[in-house]
Amino acid sequence: MPEASSQLAVSLWRGGEDGRYQTYGVPRRDNQTVLDVVTYVQRHIDPTLSYRFACRVGMCGSCAMTVNGRPRWTCRTHVAKVARSDRLEIGPLENLPVIKDLATDMQPFFEKWQQAKGVFAPSATRRDAIAQIQPDSPARIAADAGIECINCGVCYAACDTVRWNADYLGPAALNRAWTLFNDARDAGNSARMAAVAASGGCHSCHSHQSCQEHCPLSLNPTASIAGLKRRTALAYLKGELKA
Amino acid sequence: MNIEQLKTDVLILGTGGAGLFAALHAHKANPDLDISIVSKGLLGKCGCTRMVQGGYNVALNPGDSVERHFMDTIEGGKWLPHQALAWTLVTTAIERVHELENEIGCFFDRNPDGTLHGKAFAGQTFDRTVHKGDLTGIEIVNRLMEQVWARPSIRRLEEHRAVALVPAKDGTLAGALLIDVRSGAFRFVAAQAVLLATGGGPTMYRYHTPSGDKSMDGLAMALRLGLPLRDMEMVQFHPTGLLAGTDTRMTGTVLEEGLRGAGGHLLNGALHRFMADYDERLERATRDVVSRALDAEMRAGRTTPNGGVYIKMSHLGPAKVAKEFKGMVERCRDCGFDLAGGLVEVVPTAHYFMGGVMCGVDTATDCSGLFVAGEDASGMHGANRLGGNGVANSTVFGGIAGDVMPRWIADNRPGHRAPDAEALDAEVQRALHPFARKPGDLNALREKLLDTMWDDVGVVRDRAGLERGAAALDQIEAELLSMGVADTDRRFNLTWNDWLNLRSLVDISRVIALAAGKRENSRGAHFRTDFPEPGDFATSTFTVARQREGRLEIGEQPVAFTHVRPGESLVRDRAAAE
Repeated sequence: MPEASSQLAVSLWRGGEDGRYQTYGVPRRDNQTVLDVVTYVQRHIDPTLSYRFACRVGMCGSCAMTVNGRPRWTCRTHVAKVARSDRLEIGPLENLPVIKDLATDMQPFFEKWQQAKGVFAPSATRRDAIAQIQPDSPARIAADAGIECINCGVCYAACDTVRWNADYLGPAALNRAWTLFNDARDAGNSARMAAVAASGGCHSCHSHQSCQEHCPLSLNPTASIAGLKRRTALAYLKGELKA
Repeated sequence: MNIEQLKTDVLILGTGGAGLFAALHAHKANPDLDISIVSKGLLGKCGCTRMVQGGYNVALNPGDSVERHFMDTIEGGKWLPHQALAWTLVTTAIERVHELENEIGCFFDRNPDGTLHGKAFAGQTFDRTVHKGDLTGIEIVNRLMEQVWARPSIRRLEEHRAVALVPAKDGTLAGALLIDVRSGAFRFVAAQAVLLATGGGPTMYRYHTPSGDKSMDGLAMALRLGLPLRDMEMVQFHPTGLLAGTDTRMTGTVLEEGLRGAGGHLLNGALHRFMADYDERLERATRDVVSRALDAEMRAGRTTPNGGVYIKMSHLGPAKVAKEFKGMVERCRDCGFDLAGGLVEVVPTAHYFMGGVMCGVDTATDCSGLFVAGEDASGMHGANRLGGNGVANSTVFGGIAGDVMPRWIADNRPGHRAPDAEALDAEVQRALHPFARKPGDLNALREKLLDTMWDDVGVVRDRAGLERGAAALDQIEAELLSMGVADTDRRFNLTWNDWLNLRSLVDISRVIALAAGKRENSRGAHFRTDFPEPGDFATSTFTVARQREGRLEIGEQPVAFTHVRPGESLVRDRAAAE
């Protein structure tokens, strides 16, 4: 077994909104992720440390935290990539209420996902044939561009507009809305158009591009939001949407 | 003790493919029903449906047939599946995939002509695995969870773990005892009908693939309720789990099957390509064969620095590998490994649990009011699960449970039964057990369990090892029961949860060890060096485990060949297909 070569000084957020950072010493390992560091503290130093994770491999989007000032998935972030002179500061995601320690309440994030009509509205039933969709059609390509979002909340935590405007739906919800706009099978676009054009919708975005810069999957919500802006502007002009 | 009580009509434990489908179907069947869905983590974010990479087996193509899908399932399961369940699986999968595409909104990959693409998957005679890239589970669960979120009348109990199924005095099911993880408080939910869909997940092995929340809670609860559990010796191992060394959560997670299919080489610690020593198909041999070969190399000590073997892809061209296996290459890179150009350490890893609660095609169990679906149920796969049949299983039977429970409530009018106060209190005390004891090194004990199961009840088994394993489990249980958790703060207390997880894992590990001792032949995932032959298929039996008065009994029952007998096939033009 490779032995730990050195020690990491790890500051972890403890408590609720009014908590504080506390520092722990964690042995460094060759193949260690930030989640492994957090786990080490809970298993070996302070058993009351709270955090959230599930899949361990970047599929569930449960374990995002603020790592040295940046929102990241912790399960797929190698310590070597982020530790500056063997120091790590790990806090809960920003722009979400803190439950305890490193765990946030993601409820507002998912409520906004629904507000943006981020749910498929069927135009057919299980008794109908499955729609034939050309894989190289522009709409399918546009839908595919954003469809793999795992709702981890990293973009939402990175977004300045979310920070300033509590009503802003945020990049992930709008990215999902844009994906559905491009889904030829979906029948919900008139309600979705109204939802994303309303106050707090796509026009609140200032295109700072933090979302695409931070997305662990390299998705581009800024581009999706730009698509929504164009689509809704066109709808105004055509009189389909009232100002 | 004063426990908060909640009443609901339909209580669903679990938010994987089975639980989410059950909620949607029950809501559609009767929107006036009060439905509650319980998730150990966040809704749709824990559990294993989400982690499905491959896809969804379904006979949609005119050249394929449900009979062919059925025969692949039966033969893959080495004639142990419950044939009516397997038939329900393959036939209902067709409607379920239509529902996923047309009503739920899953946007599966297409052929150039716009029809659904079916990819090839091991052990199947037709390319019938519908998928979304190599992240099919994310697409399925994301779309399902959106639909559940969009129905606010479905009560979501997130970060609540179920600790017990609690009977009424008359032996019917009264409801479930939960712990609200965030507050640390108990909550009893009385329900007219309960669906057990917490997922299996053999995380009691040193190397395992399921998500970290999985700990066999569902089967441990069912065992305590006295329900019969079938095929409990059947643990499926995947041959290539990532190996990253001490204290790494990433260890055990799957590196996909396609790497071997595409021509990847497996090398031992001396860089010898060892598969030729075991099977003429080399790395392309089936999962069980390759897993056993890795196990043999590891037991012989011909290992890599962390105790596994290497997978090598670079001879196929690093650029090509990086393009074709983008997800896997990125996953390895994030953890510090170069899959495209270097060597990556791998080990066999416990992947799926074929055993579970016995049930009928309507998902009903022996306990009135309790239904079961997904990996908590058993019989669909027998001795082996085909890749692509797991997500089909959870969604097919979750949906059926959601159809059946409202009807069952309407027909039987069970109402809400008061929980047996004594049973409820005993379960509360069971969950509080660690707080009255001195804290110890829980993780060291967990690792002892993982090592025991790996070494003695693992990929390759024999009588002596199984007996040694069972004895070690008794000792681990005794240590666990004397080990405590500090009672300083019960809110979001992961260590308390780790203790409860470990208790469930120990309970089910013992059942696995004893069922494995009962099966004196080798079928599918179960391999005994002292009984290496599969035995006579025509007289196949399956194991049944149940707990009575605190004692574990393992019996056997003959497989009923209701649809097809060994040596026969339902596929008429069999020769033409091969």
